[in-house]
Amino acid sequence: MAQPEYSEEELLQRAGRGDARAFDRLYDLLSPRLFGLLRQMLTDEREAEDMLQDGFVQLWSKASDFDPSLSKAFTWAVMIFRHKAIDRMRALGRRNRLVESAALEHATLADSVHMGADDAAEAGERSALVREALNDLPKEQRQLIEFAFLKGLTHHVIAESLGIPLGTVKTNIRRGLLCLRDLLKGGV
Amino acid sequence: MDERHEELAAMNALGMLESDEKRVLNGASVADKDLRDFSAELELVASELARLIAPVEPPSNMKRRIHAKMRSSGVKGAGLSRGFVFGSIGWALAASLAVASVWLWQEREKLVQQVAAVSRAMAPVTPVVPSTEKKETRNIEEELKILLSDFETKKAALSTEIEALRKRETDANARIAQLVAEAEALKQQDERSQLQIATLQNSKIWEYRRCEMIVVWNGGKRQGVLLLDNMPRVDSGMDYQLWVIDPNKPDPVSAGVVEVNAKGVAKIAFKPVDVVGETVKFALSVEKKGGVPKAEGPIVLVGP
Repeated sequence: MAQPEYSEEELLQRAGRGDARAFDRLYDLLSPRLFGLLRQMLTDEREAEDMLQDGFVQLWSKASDFDPSLSKAFTWAVMIFRHKAIDRMRALGRRNRLVESAALEHATLADSVHMGADDAAEAGERSALVREALNDLPKEQRQLIEFAFLKGLTHHVIAESLGIPLGTVKTNIRRGLLCLRDLLKGGV
Repeated sequence: MDERHEELAAMNALGMLESDEKRVLNGASVADKDLRDFSAELELVASELARLIAPVEPPSNMKRRIHAKMRSSGVKGAGLSRGFVFGSIGWALAASLAVASVWLWQEREKLVQQVAAVSRAMAPVTPVVPSTEKKETRNIEEELKILLSDFETKKAALSTEIEALRKRETDANARIAQLVAEAEALKQQDERSQLQIATLQNSKIWEYRRCEMIVVWNGGKRQGVLLLDNMPRVDSGMDYQLWVIDPNKPDPVSAGVVEVNAKGVAKIAFKPVDVVGETVKFALSVEKKGGVPKAEGPIVLVGP
């Protein structure tokens, strides 16, 4: 029997109630974007696969905690997977390593936008909004946020890798993220 | 909520905090709901950035891996839907079906693995060596050739040395054999030097005038051989008895009874019954049958 078209939030809620088919469908919808995220952060195909596997197991276990009034299913899932990736990077001792210049150049979200990351109707609109909001940020804030988001490094390492004073890193991150929040709120 | 806490919350949203800083934030969040909400809000904002990531299709078997992981880690409800209500019979059927499905799935996984293993085992071995590995392989081959060459040289030198040692051993053995032979000859010469040969002919006793007696005496071993010829027969109840005469002893020492054959010939090896010196004389007497400890009868032959 064909599964009715539920939203990601509905699928996650159903998964929280033990609906394995809803969970499977949610996997189909979320896994490509989450796998892309993990590959960017971990820069290792095998590690990314392992984290995707572990992340979905955790997602199934925690699905009943999801509150659609507080977040989208996708962003809620991203939080779970990012935490796992960061924990993994910490375990591998990568969070405190200086980053090569080549890696710095690739740590941008703007370049990947044109690849149609999230083109499915409503989600696509949300992606466009995030892209627009990010592009509205001052360049130094945008670059820092992109780099921090993709690399999962500590602020000390980021400051050292980019050759920016630590205080500047902290300030730009705070201001940039607050600005992004406001921009996204305006679009909601 | 101050600016420092806002900074911590912002950096936490992007996963930038060190462990101790995260503890500070968590501690402050416990008592500050605004900070707690602010942190959660920024985390969601940061998560929105993932929408800009280019999607990548996971491996095709990932869904199966996830289900397998859920089963192996005992995740509640793994592989089963909790969204449907069954009656008691339905539950039993569903449970049976689920168990069977799990079992079949596991069997299928095993079969897939076995097929893969067999395929790998049966696959022709066609080593693909990247250029860098080829270079390393060449280097290793050259090193091996050099090592082999050294080994052959050392082996040849050792063979020569072994051959020389064997020749020396052969020479040494021959020399030893020669020395042993010389030693033996010397020993025999020495033994011969200790031999004493005593003869007696022309006895003054008429019946024994044609008798011949030869005694070969080894003074070192205190033993000898007696040869008699042309000896007359003794009376019944009588025997010839040989005596060894040691000048340092008051009486002759018996060397045993001598039986003479019908032709008057006797040849015996003898050893005195008592200790005697190296240089001795010999005498032959006629005694009672079986011999006596101390000479009683007439001496018929006496050595020089």
